[in-house]
Amino acid sequence: MAKATATKDSAIDGSPFISASEALIVQLLCGCSLAFSLWVANSVYSIHLLTDPSNTLLLIWIIELPIVILLYSRYRRNRKRCTYLRAVGRGLLALPAGAAINFLGAVALGAPVTIQYLPKTVNWSLMMSVFTTVPASCVLGSSWADWRRIFAQTKPNGSIEYLICLPAHGAVIGGWFGAWPMPLDWERPWQEWPICVSYGAITGYLVAMVASLGFALAHNRSCLPKRD
Amino acid sequence: MSSITCTKLTLLTIVAVTIQCIGLSVFVFGFFPVKPVLSGYSGVESFRPPTCNGIENESEPSLPPDRLESLYRAVSEIPPSFDRLVFMVIDGLPAEFVLGKNGRPPSKAFVEAMPYTQSLLATGKAVGYHAIAAAPTVTMPRLKAMVSGAIGGFLDVVLNFNSQAFLEDNVLAKFFKIGWNMVMLGDDTWLKLFPGLFVRHDGVSSFFVKDTVQVDQNVSRHLGNELGRDDWKLLILHYLGLDHVGHIGGRNSALMIPKLSEMDEVVKLIHMNTVKNIENGKGRTLLVVVSDHGMTENGNHGGSSHEETDSLALFIGLKDHVYDHALSNYAQVSQVDIAPTLALLFGVPIPRNSIGVLISKIFDSLTDDKKLRALQLNSWQLFRLLQAQLPGLSCKNFPCEDFITDSGSGVSECNGSKEEMFCCLYLNAAALHDAWKTKVISRFNSTDSSSVIAAYHEFLKRASEWLSHRSTDKPIGLLVSGITAIAMSSLMLLSLVILIHKEVPPREEKHSLVYLKSWKMDEAFILLGIIIMVISMGSSSMIEEEHYVWHFLNSSIILIFIRKRLQSFESNSKHEYLNLIKGEIKRSGVEMSLLFLILFCGRILRGWHQGGVNWTNLPDVSKWLEQDGSQYIKLIQLTSCVLITCLGLFALYLMRYKTKVVLVVGFSFLMLGILIFQHVMNHQDTFASSSDDATLSIQIIYVTLGITTFAAVVALPWVKPMQSPDMCSRWISNKLTMLPVEIQNVTPIFEFKDALYMIGCLYVTFWCLLQLLLQQPINAMPVLLLFVQVLASMLTFSFSELHREQWVEGISSHSTFLSGLLMFIITYASPMLFYVSMVLYISVKDTVYSLISKDGNSGEVLKTVLGLSCLVPLSMNSVLLTAYTIVLLLMRNHLFIWSVFSPKYVYVCVGTASVYIGVFIVAVTVIYTYMVLLWRKRRKSFAFSSKQNGTLSVKLCISVLRRQSEDAQEKDHSVS
Repeated sequence: MAKATATKDSAIDGSPFISASEALIVQLLCGCSLAFSLWVANSVYSIHLLTDPSNTLLLIWIIELPIVILLYSRYRRNRKRCTYLRAVGRGLLALPAGAAINFLGAVALGAPVTIQYLPKTVNWSLMMSVFTTVPASCVLGSSWADWRRIFAQTKPNGSIEYLICLPAHGAVIGGWFGAWPMPLDWERPWQEWPICVSYGAITGYLVAMVASLGFALAHNRSCLPKRD
Repeated sequence: MSSITCTKLTLLTIVAVTIQCIGLSVFVFGFFPVKPVLSGYSGVESFRPPTCNGIENESEPSLPPDRLESLYRAVSEIPPSFDRLVFMVIDGLPAEFVLGKNGRPPSKAFVEAMPYTQSLLATGKAVGYHAIAAAPTVTMPRLKAMVSGAIGGFLDVVLNFNSQAFLEDNVLAKFFKIGWNMVMLGDDTWLKLFPGLFVRHDGVSSFFVKDTVQVDQNVSRHLGNELGRDDWKLLILHYLGLDHVGHIGGRNSALMIPKLSEMDEVVKLIHMNTVKNIENGKGRTLLVVVSDHGMTENGNHGGSSHEETDSLALFIGLKDHVYDHALSNYAQVSQVDIAPTLALLFGVPIPRNSIGVLISKIFDSLTDDKKLRALQLNSWQLFRLLQAQLPGLSCKNFPCEDFITDSGSGVSECNGSKEEMFCCLYLNAAALHDAWKTKVISRFNSTDSSSVIAAYHEFLKRASEWLSHRSTDKPIGLLVSGITAIAMSSLMLLSLVILIHKEVPPREEKHSLVYLKSWKMDEAFILLGIIIMVISMGSSSMIEEEHYVWHFLNSSIILIFIRKRLQSFESNSKHEYLNLIKGEIKRSGVEMSLLFLILFCGRILRGWHQGGVNWTNLPDVSKWLEQDGSQYIKLIQLTSCVLITCLGLFALYLMRYKTKVVLVVGFSFLMLGILIFQHVMNHQDTFASSSDDATLSIQIIYVTLGITTFAAVVALPWVKPMQSPDMCSRWISNKLTMLPVEIQNVTPIFEFKDALYMIGCLYVTFWCLLQLLLQQPINAMPVLLLFVQVLASMLTFSFSELHREQWVEGISSHSTFLSGLLMFIITYASPMLFYVSMVLYISVKDTVYSLISKDGNSGEVLKTVLGLSCLVPLSMNSVLLTAYTIVLLLMRNHLFIWSVFSPKYVYVCVGTASVYIGVFIVAVTVIYTYMVLLWRKRRKSFAFSSKQNGTLSVKLCISVLRRQSEDAQEKDHSVS
C-alpha cells in the first residue's frame, strides 16, 4: 500500500521511485548480463579480455547496452511527458556522447592514440559509456541541473539516483586505479592498455553496484515513513 | 588566532633548510662512501716494497711494449707459466651446475651434460672454484670486478654516467701495455668497456633476450679460425645464451641441458687445441672459464642471494698434478681474486685498486720462493691500497725498520686499532719471509715455507675483507642521523605551512558553503597524490616511468578542477555576493577552456618523447619529426620562438595599461625573440656551433639576456609609475571595492603586484627563450607548450580562489621533461621555469582579503605574499626527499639499487638544490621589489598624508574596526 502511494507521488513530482526489491533486480540483471557477456566471450567465441581485448569489450557493451537501457528506461523521470520509447532513444543517443567524453578523458590521462590502439580505446569508452552515461540519460533526460548534481557534485537524491550515480563513479574510479600497474615491469600481458583499466573499471562498477543497493535501501527506509 | 611574525617565520624556514642541507649531506656521505680510489695504473713500482711515507714515485718508464714486458719479467722474478690466455665467460652460469653445492656433486643431468669438463675436473687438469660475486650481480659491474679486482662504489656509477669506457686500472690494460694482441668474441659490453683494445672483435648484443641460439653461434663461428691463428695472446669469449635460457625458463629450463652441452663442446674444443699446441711446442695456453654471476631458480639475477652470487671460476690447463683435496669439496674464493691471480700468472703488475687475494692453489706448481714472491707482490699491492684508505697507516707511527729488527723472526701478537693490526700483520709476514730467505741461502736446501705462507695469507685475507666491507658497508648511525635531520626539517616546514595556511582567512567558507565539500576533494586528491608518489618511489619501474606517473596525476587533478568548474557553472547567479562581475558564466567558460588547453598541452608533451623503459620503442612525435627531416624541426623551432615572444607580449598586454616601462619590457622581449630567431635561422643547420659567427651570436644573446633581466629586475620598482587605483591592471581591479582607500594609499600593494607581474612575465619569457637556445631543436615545441601551460594556469588561477592546488600542478611539470634529456641545466630547466613562474603566480595571487585584516604592516604583507609560495615547494620537496631517502635506505640491497634508485637519488638531490635556488630567487625578487616600492610610496605619500594625518588614522581605525574588530587592537599601524 505504502509502495503504491509512493510510486504515485514520485510519478507526479517527477522523481521516480524504486523499491528495494526492484533495485536488487535491476542491479542483479546488470551484473548478470556483465557476467553473461564475459561467459559468451569465453565459451562461444573463445576470446578473453587478455587475448582479444577489443572484441571482448565490444561484446560486453553490446550485451550490456539493451539490458541497461530497457531496465533504466522504466524509471524515467517525468513519465507523463516522456514515453518509454523516448527514454530508450535518449539512452541510445547518450551512448556515443558518453563514449566521446570517456575517450577524451582516457586520452588526456595518457591512453595511446596510435591507430593500432584505436579500436581498443573506442570499445573501452563505449563500455564505460554504458556504465556511466547511458543509465543516467535514460532516467534523467537532458536536465542539466540533475546531471550536474549527480556527476559533478555527487549528490544523488532518491534511490534511483543512487543506482545511477554510485556505479558510474565506481567504474571511473576503478578504471583510474586500474591504470596504476601499467608502468610496472612485471611484463604480464594484462598490463597492456586497456586490459587492466577495464578490469579495474568492471571491478569498481560491481563493487559500487553493491554499495548503491545498500544506499538505496537506506534511502528508502528513511523516506518511507515520511511519505506515510 | 595563532600568529607568527615574519622574522620568526623566515628564521624558522632558514633553520629548517639548513638542517635539511646538513642531514642530506650526512646521509649522502654515509650512503655513498667516498673511498679513495687510486688513480692511474700500477707499474714497475708494484714490484718494489711500499715505501714508508706512502708516496710513490709515479714516473712510469714509457717503454715500448716488448721492452716493458721484459722489464716486468725481470723485476717480477716469477716466470710466466703460460703464453696465452683464453678467457671464457659463460653469462649467468651458477657454479653449482659444474661443482655442486655443499660438498655434493651436481645433479646427474648436469654432470652428463658436461662430460668433458667433469672429466677434466676429475683428473685434476682443471681447478674449479665457487667465485663469490658481489652485488649487484649484473654483467657489467661483474666484468669490471673480474678484470680490475675492485668492487665498484657508487662514484663508479655516477662518474661514468655518460662514458661507459672503463678507466680504472685493470688487467686488460696491463696486457695491452705489454703489447698483447687481444680478440673479443661475444657480449658487446666488453667493447663498450674497453674500446679500441681489441684487434679483432665480434660483439653481439644481449638486447634480444628471447634468442638463445644465435647469440652463441655468433661467438662460436669464429672459434675454429681464431684457435688456428697464433697472433693473439688473449682471447675473450663471452657466451650469453645460458643467461638468456635462464631468463626464459629458469634453472630447470628444458634448454639448459643442451646449452650446457654446447658450452662443454666449446671447452673441449679449446682444451684439445691447447693440448695440441703444447705437443707442437707452440706454447702453453691457460683456459679460464668464469661466469659473471649465477641465477635464481627463476633465472633472474641482480640481487645478493647465494644462488645469484655463486659464480664459477675454472682454471684449465695448469700443470698436471694430483690434488689433495676431495673432488666434491671446492673451495670458495671471491670473484675479485681472479684479477690478481691472472696478473701474477702472466707477470704483469696487479691492478691498483684490486682487493683480491691470489688463489694459492693455482700457484702450487711453482717453487716455494716463487710462490712466496707472488704472495709478497700481492701483499705489497694491498698494503699500498690500505695506505690510501687509512691515512693513519703511514709508518710515522710505526717506524718500519725498527719494527722489523725488534720483531726479528718471532711472530708478535696482532691486535689494537685497524692501522696497528694491519701494519703488524704485514710486518710479521715480511719478517718471516726475510727470515725464510736467509735460511734458504744459508742452508741451500728447502725449508718449510708454510708458516710464511700462513702469515701472508692472514694479512691478505684480513686486508681484503676489510677493504671489501669498506666499499659496501654503510655506517648505519650516520645514515639514521641524516634521515632524522631530513625528517625533522620536513616536519618543521610542514608545520609552518599548516600554520600559515590556517592564518589565511578561509574565504572559501565565507563565500561558498556549496563548494566546501568539493574543495576538500581537491585537497584530498592532492594528499592522495603525494602518498601515491611516495609509495610509487619504492618501485624501480615506477621510477623509470616517473614522468608518466606525474602526467597521470597532473591530468587527473586538472580533470578534477574541470569537474569543480562544472559544479559552479550555473549556480553562481543564485548567490548575490558573487554578482560583482556580470560575466560570471563567460568567466567560467574562459576558465574551462584554459583548463582544457592545459590538458591538451600536457597530452602533447607526454606524446613528445616516449621515455622510460617499457614504452621507449613506441612511436612518438619527436621520432616522427626526426624521420621527416630537419626542415620540419627547424620550422617548429622558429614557430615556437615567434609564439613565445608573442605570448610574452600578450601577457604583458593583459595588464591593460600602457606606460613607457611596459613598452620597454615588451621591446626587450621582441628584441630577444628576433635575436634568437635569427640565430636559429642561420646557425642551426650547421651543427658546427664552434664557428665564430655562431658563437658570437650566442654570446650576444647571453649578454643581452643577462643584462636585460638584471636591469629590468633592478630598475623596474624604481621607474614604475605610481598610479591611482583606477589605473590598475585588470586582475586586481575587481577587488578594489573591498579595500579601504586609506590602505591603498599607505601600502604600495597595486604597484607591487603590477611590478611583480611584469618581472614574472620577464623571467618566464626569457627563461623559455633561453631554453629554446639550449635545448635540442626537437624540444622547441615542448618549451612552447610548457610556456602555454604556465600562462594558462596563471590565468586560470588568477580567476579562482585556489591556493595550494596549483603547486602540485606546477610541480608535476617537473618530470614531463625528465625523459630523454641529458644535462643538468637542461634537465632542470622546467622545474626552474616553474620556480620562476612563481613570481608570476605571486603577482596574480589574490591576497587582497588578507590585506584588509593585516592593515598594511610590511612584514605581514610579505609574509602573506611570500609565505605559502616559498614554503609549499620547500615542504613538498622535503617530504619527497625524506620519503625517498627512507626508500633508498630500505632498498639498499635491492637489485636495481645502483642502476635505478641511486641515480634517481642524485636527481632528487639536484632537484632539492634547484628548489633552494628557485625559492631564493623568488624571495629576493619579491622582497626587493616590495621594499623599493614601499620606500617610494612612503616618500610620496608623506607630503600628502602630513596634512591629512589625523583624519586618515581615524578613518583607518574605523574601517579596520568595522571589518576585523577583534584584531584591530593589536595592530601595528604603520602610518602612525
